[in-house]
Amino acid sequence: MQPVLEIENLRTSFMTSSGEVQAVRGVSFSVDKGEILGIVGESGSGKSVTSMSVLRLLADTAVIKEGSSIRFEGQEMTSLTKKQLRAIRGEKIAMIFQDPMSSLNPLIPVGKQVEEMIREHHPEKGKEELKRAALELFEKVRIPEPERRYKSYPHEFSGGMRQRVMIAMALANKPDLLIADEPTTALDVTIQDQILHQLRELDKEYGTSIIFITHDLGVVAELCDRVVVMYGGLVMEEAMIDDLFDHPAHPYTMGLLASMPDLEQDKSVRLTPIPGSPPDMTNPPAGCPFAPRCPYARNLCAAELPDFVETGERHRSRCFLQYPDAPADGNNPFAHTSGK
Amino acid sequence: MDDKWGMLESTNEDREKIWKKNRTFAGDVWFRFRHKPTAIAGLILILVLLVFAFAGPLFTHYSYSDQNLDVVNIPPVMRVYEAPDGQACFYVTQALKVLRVNNDGTLDTQLSKLREDYTAGVAIFDYDGTEVGLSYFVTPYEMVDPETMEAYPARTVLNRSYLFGTDSLGRDILTRLMYGTRVSLMVAFIAVIVNMVIGILFGGISGYAGGMVDTVMMRIVDIISTIPLTLYVILIMVIMGSGLQSIIVALGTTYWVGMARVVRGQVLSLKNQEFVMAAKTIGSSTKTILLQHLVPNSMGSILVTVTMLIPSAIFMEAFLGYLGIGLQPPLASLGTMCNDATANLRTCPYQLFIPAIVICLIMFGFNFIGDGLRDALDPKLKK
Amino acid sequence: MKDQPILEVTGLTKHFKIGRKQTVHAVDGVSFTLKRGKTLGLVGESGCGKSTCARTVIRMYDVTAGKVVLDGTDITDMDQKQLKPLRRKMQMIFQDPYASLNARMTVRDIIAEPLLAHGIVRTKTQANDLVYPMLEQVGLTKEHANRYAHEFSGGQRQRVGIARALVLQPELIICDEPISALDVSIQAQVINLLKDFQEEQGVSYLFIAHDLSMVRYVSDDVGVMYLGQLVEVCEADEIYRHPLHPYTKGLLGSIPIANPRLARQKVKSSMEGDIPSPINPPSGCRFHTRCPYATDRCAQETPVLKDAGGGHFVACHQV
Repeated sequence: MQPVLEIENLRTSFMTSSGEVQAVRGVSFSVDKGEILGIVGESGSGKSVTSMSVLRLLADTAVIKEGSSIRFEGQEMTSLTKKQLRAIRGEKIAMIFQDPMSSLNPLIPVGKQVEEMIREHHPEKGKEELKRAALELFEKVRIPEPERRYKSYPHEFSGGMRQRVMIAMALANKPDLLIADEPTTALDVTIQDQILHQLRELDKEYGTSIIFITHDLGVVAELCDRVVVMYGGLVMEEAMIDDLFDHPAHPYTMGLLASMPDLEQDKSVRLTPIPGSPPDMTNPPAGCPFAPRCPYARNLCAAELPDFVETGERHRSRCFLQYPDAPADGNNPFAHTSGK
Repeated sequence: MDDKWGMLESTNEDREKIWKKNRTFAGDVWFRFRHKPTAIAGLILILVLLVFAFAGPLFTHYSYSDQNLDVVNIPPVMRVYEAPDGQACFYVTQALKVLRVNNDGTLDTQLSKLREDYTAGVAIFDYDGTEVGLSYFVTPYEMVDPETMEAYPARTVLNRSYLFGTDSLGRDILTRLMYGTRVSLMVAFIAVIVNMVIGILFGGISGYAGGMVDTVMMRIVDIISTIPLTLYVILIMVIMGSGLQSIIVALGTTYWVGMARVVRGQVLSLKNQEFVMAAKTIGSSTKTILLQHLVPNSMGSILVTVTMLIPSAIFMEAFLGYLGIGLQPPLASLGTMCNDATANLRTCPYQLFIPAIVICLIMFGFNFIGDGLRDALDPKLKK
Repeated sequence: MKDQPILEVTGLTKHFKIGRKQTVHAVDGVSFTLKRGKTLGLVGESGCGKSTCARTVIRMYDVTAGKVVLDGTDITDMDQKQLKPLRRKMQMIFQDPYASLNARMTVRDIIAEPLLAHGIVRTKTQANDLVYPMLEQVGLTKEHANRYAHEFSGGQRQRVGIARALVLQPELIICDEPISALDVSIQAQVINLLKDFQEEQGVSYLFIAHDLSMVRYVSDDVGVMYLGQLVEVCEADEIYRHPLHPYTKGLLGSIPIANPRLARQKVKSSMEGDIPSPINPPSGCRFHTRCPYATDRCAQETPVLKDAGGGHFVACHQV
């Protein structure tokens, strides 16, 4: 089966006055049909830039480097013109962002904005038909009293409700791919919980593929089928969701999992944080970007960038310690797995 | 690599290292500013004008008030006639006097008039014993050989004595221009300093105090800004007499209202930021909060407002000078120079254009700098 | 004297007037006690008044009603001048590490500011003797002192913010969502730092957050707030093991579980609807509009906090 989206060796940089910021430095992954793919990473890991590169929704200073390839349903996106991209945007690929207020026009009732989204790509539809479609969408995303809410303005909605309107707009044309960039980060846990459940249901109903970008591993666990873990502009690990939590194959993923307390955490035991700070992307390290913070790092790690190692079915990790010739000493967390 | 699987030693220092060059805020702004060609062009322009205005008078032989009625309205580029012996040239002034011009372009004495031949329309002048004629029957008036009535060969030379020519009282325009630019820049800088002090304090206090204080202070600003500036200046002139001091007082007391509004707006939006709250919970005094936290953080908008305000103040001074209610003669300002020139606009357009171009250059310079600063200070471009 | 709580808040109320008629009931009759050297966690959704509560306690806002007693001193009606010496005892750590540091000051000046404000040191050079060790305590180095805040990463900035709060050696630190703007890998650094200081210097924390698992981890007691009121207060582990208030139950059920297998067992979202506006809070129990167990009584009668046994306080008619 052909994947919906294939990204190969994507490199995106920002040209700023203090030099080139290499936000994404060669990212490859693919999204299958109907799949929810999570991209996890901290701020500055390049996760948002990766997704923005797909629709080229980047600042003017951004450059997608030669040799990057983004194929959507077999079509190369990097060579499309802005106009061709606009036709795909909203129709085939939709996006939702962290701050819904920035994507909604404060002067137009939300119902009209949803209609506008449909009419943009289906100008043949009549007024009645559009309204019916909009109301149906409102019901789908569980906006209470859709008839009344249809005429409301964005500022009359709470953050959670606005995000629902955004989801309704995103799904208006039944896109093949939905890119959700931290859509629940600004919301409360109770509202986040509601939105996540809704996304799952809508995903089942529409068969839309979703790229869900977040920094929260908990959210990923709740929603995603497969996960890409990014750090320093690179993919560090890619795995099926259960596999990632059961057998993390990269020290960074392990560090992330270890630094979160769960509700059973013993309070007298200190958390195990990842020491230090993320790398500065104007001056990316030559070796593995995580090496300076990695408790298992070897001399090699700081000098060279490791390649991916397949550690299981659809599970790969960019770590030297996964190499077959890595010593199985006490400082190799993967010693037991590399013996196979 | 000897020991590629040896454990990597990384210290806390490595992990916490900041790679970015240690640049102060000002350094950062300057870095971005100098990468904008127009901004640098503006800066250089203003520096050149400053040197011109303040160091220039040291190098001229004239003062702004030296009059020489022999050399009235001499343009920077003269059309001259060669003398019969080729040792000098003649320049015919508008008053039909003949000036001796040396071959290097410097002006010499006037030729004395011997007699006039009214029938032929020729005035005969004495040139070191030789008689030369000025034919004034047909325009353009020409220097002719009084015997043959043939015109001497004509050419154009640059005026080396008065590079930019002289005005209707025979004063050197270049020198007056230097003084005029000096006045304009002085007006600008004094207006700016007064603005910065009054505007920042007034706006800062108004914004920080909020509530009733803010309302009252802002109404004062409203009242001041409703008085037409020209009217206000005229009133001040009546009391203080016309002159530079009145203009400075007038600009200083009214121009700060724009600055006060900008600062107030900045302070209003900044004072609810967490770093100001932090300063309050620390127990810092109001003075510290205002001068260490609020004002430095509004500096970006303040600087941009200032650089945009300078040309407006300069223009205001020039405008008042042009109206004739600014500086009094013989003092020169760019505006009064333009005003003086309007009478002779048809015959001596250079007298108007030269100061007008300098006004334009000053405005360009400051506007470019303001633009450059705005971009350099824009946090959105910061990465 | 040592048993005297560091902070006692009784019936704290803070209303904001907007326009002529409308009033935001941000905090309504909140009471709690924070024991010396302990941590009290306050959790709730955004808009529940937990941040307003913190800012009123530190007297950034004036108190509408109620009483705030800091270490035996009633600070409810003190003006800023009277408060100044007391500020040494009570400091605050802010949510946004980007907005809470002045971008025009070096880290040294930021940490020295409280020392200068309270006259502990006279000059900036004197301050260095206190600033450098402080920087090292929060895991930064001397080299960082001359840097400007905008050159730091989020986690580093937050540690500078902590250093600024701790340099006065306060007895109480109010942490207003200190980790919610930080990356996961950094959150644990900050939490460990706060815990270390508590062990070494016996600082008390009022810890405000919406991350329930972190709150449980750092707190001795936890208070759950909803629309300006405390609905449940008790020992931290107890509240997570046996939540009594329906809101607490819903809140706990909403936490994303970092375990995909357990997460899949959750069939539906734990709580429906949005938090109502604090301008016109619902009558009776403020949670009744979203409560699955609400009865007529809940809509009419406001429940009060009462002991449900073993120091577990809850405000619900159903318990």
